[in-house]
Amino acid sequence: MDHLVLRTVFLIAGIAAGAFLPGLLFGATAGVIFFAGALVALLLHHIRHVALLAQWLNQPQTQPGQVPRGSGIWDNVFALLYRYERVKTQEHQLLAKTLVRFRQAGRVHPDGVMILDAENRIEWCNDTAEHHFDLSLDSDHGQPIANLLRQPEFIAYLEACDYSNPLELRAARTSAIILSLQIIPYGDAQKLLLSRDVTRLEKLESMRRDFVANVSHELRTPLTVLSGFLETIRELDLDPQRVQDYSNLMVEQCRRMQCIVDDLLTLSTLESAPSPSLDERIRMSPLLARLRADAEALSGGKHRIFFDVSGDFDLLGSENEIVSALGNLVSNAIRYTPDGGEIRVLWRATADEAEYAIEDTGIGFAPEHIPRLTERFYRVDRGRSRATGGTGLGLAIVKHILNRHQAALDIRSEPGKGSRFAVRFPPRRIVPAATADVVAQEMP
Amino acid sequence: MAQEHSSKQYDLDLEALRSRVLEMGGLVESQILAAVNGLAAGDNRVLEQVITDDHRVNAMEVSIDTDCSHLIARRQPTAGDLRMVLAVIKIVTDLERVGDEAAKIARLGKQGHALARTPLAAVKHMGGIGIGMLRKALDALARLDTVAAAAIIREDVEIDEEFRAIVRQLITFMMEDPRTISQAIDILWIAKAIERIGDHSKNMAEQVIYVVKGTDVRHISVEQVEREALG
Repeated sequence: MDHLVLRTVFLIAGIAAGAFLPGLLFGATAGVIFFAGALVALLLHHIRHVALLAQWLNQPQTQPGQVPRGSGIWDNVFALLYRYERVKTQEHQLLAKTLVRFRQAGRVHPDGVMILDAENRIEWCNDTAEHHFDLSLDSDHGQPIANLLRQPEFIAYLEACDYSNPLELRAARTSAIILSLQIIPYGDAQKLLLSRDVTRLEKLESMRRDFVANVSHELRTPLTVLSGFLETIRELDLDPQRVQDYSNLMVEQCRRMQCIVDDLLTLSTLESAPSPSLDERIRMSPLLARLRADAEALSGGKHRIFFDVSGDFDLLGSENEIVSALGNLVSNAIRYTPDGGEIRVLWRATADEAEYAIEDTGIGFAPEHIPRLTERFYRVDRGRSRATGGTGLGLAIVKHILNRHQAALDIRSEPGKGSRFAVRFPPRRIVPAATADVVAQEMP
Repeated sequence: MAQEHSSKQYDLDLEALRSRVLEMGGLVESQILAAVNGLAAGDNRVLEQVITDDHRVNAMEVSIDTDCSHLIARRQPTAGDLRMVLAVIKIVTDLERVGDEAAKIARLGKQGHALARTPLAAVKHMGGIGIGMLRKALDALARLDTVAAAAIIREDVEIDEEFRAIVRQLITFMMEDPRTISQAIDILWIAKAIERIGDHSKNMAEQVIYVVKGTDVRHISVEQVEREALG
């Protein structure tokens, strides 16, 4: 600043000195006129630059243009201004970039994130939140959230100011979604509204509840029968033949409970055991022969059973598990096919894919049951399967075993026409069949 | 609204009024939803709750009406603000009626334990449309969206068609077996109640257009309304 003042003083002194010469030559009046004229010129120079400055300052803040260039002392002033402006612009760009990065991070967050201001207006939200609440940030920016999320439960939660627990809510606009909402106050009376889709969790929770209820129910039925007979035998004086009959029935019910408990244990073992290794070779031709013998024994000649085998390939995996899974599908087909029906077992293997399929001409079921068929204790018809002696866990076990072998189960069925259960094994579990001597070497 | 008043409190009062109407709307929405779901599931406890909660809707109506008269007396609103207050008074009446329809559905649903399944499914479908219309009407009020409001007025035609289909179905039932008459009449009342929800939603949508555009679009054709809303 000091040297600006100094320069101005020197300039005026220079003008005064310059005025001295015409003053000497043409008299004092001419000197004064020259001095005044030079001062007016200086003043005009300053006014021009002040106007330039005002014009620059008057520009919209969002896109500042180039700082004007000046001459004389204004050059120095504008240079300072230019430097200041450049630093500010850089800072601004840096901040804007950081903000964009944060917003991008918020956008891709898998949970819904919404920022509310002190009056609970929507300030910002990410795509997930837009989807959860079915709103659009462009049109709903600044809208009080309670105007759009009008459920009384939510308004009560918002107004209670006690956000220690999340709120579970069925989304109003997309009713298939169940949301868990949590408000977190932060900063200057602002709030963060987090929303998470808990539809799946909710479904799992209800499956777990159903499972416990089903297990108790399945075990209670034989238990009731058992205790009924025991009480009868204790209270009444029965002849030995009746006691014998009752004992047989009781043994049968005990066996039933035994089956259920065994199946449950199998399931829990399958769940906790590691995935079967790729080392163990399952020789398919003896296995299929065994399945055939078992099927014919179970059917007792009441069904026509065909085996259609093509492709000389073996599987890698746990033999016990695969036998149990494939056998289970065969016994299901026999149990749900009336006498005289036809059961066709297909085994087609190539190096790329192996398919094991069972087609029957049994009673079948409606397609809506297919997604739930492998759930534990799921019954297409409550009375029917218990009468045929199932525990309700067979297909759950099959599904588990196949999952462990990365195999897929494809179910098709039509009521009254029959069903088709197909198992597809992935290429990594298929190997060319071992020749007899290799097998002989492998088996000491 | 768009322009700010010199008194900030005035703006806040107007905003609060709209928010309270929408809060009442939310309550009515949940009442209708509970009534229709309770009816479909045959859950009497839910239906009972709807009937007991009806007084909350009524209390809100009275309280919002009082707010409106206070606002008129204190601020003497003009132009857009006045239209907003007038529309709120009418919308609140419509909402209260919808609340009554919810209670009516709940009361009818509670009596008939063995309402026939087939027409009931149709009623539930119709209920879904009615709830959707109410929700869209309230959304349109929140966003002051005239295009959405005009769409609701068109949707009312659809729900009326649905109602006529249910009536035809019920007539067939009654002709086949006169023992189903009392049951069919109950279902008819329920369907009528839902149809009324559609009408009330339409009224609310018309008020939204009135607030934004300043033109009264009651009792004119759907095409004219759409022209007004878009223009």
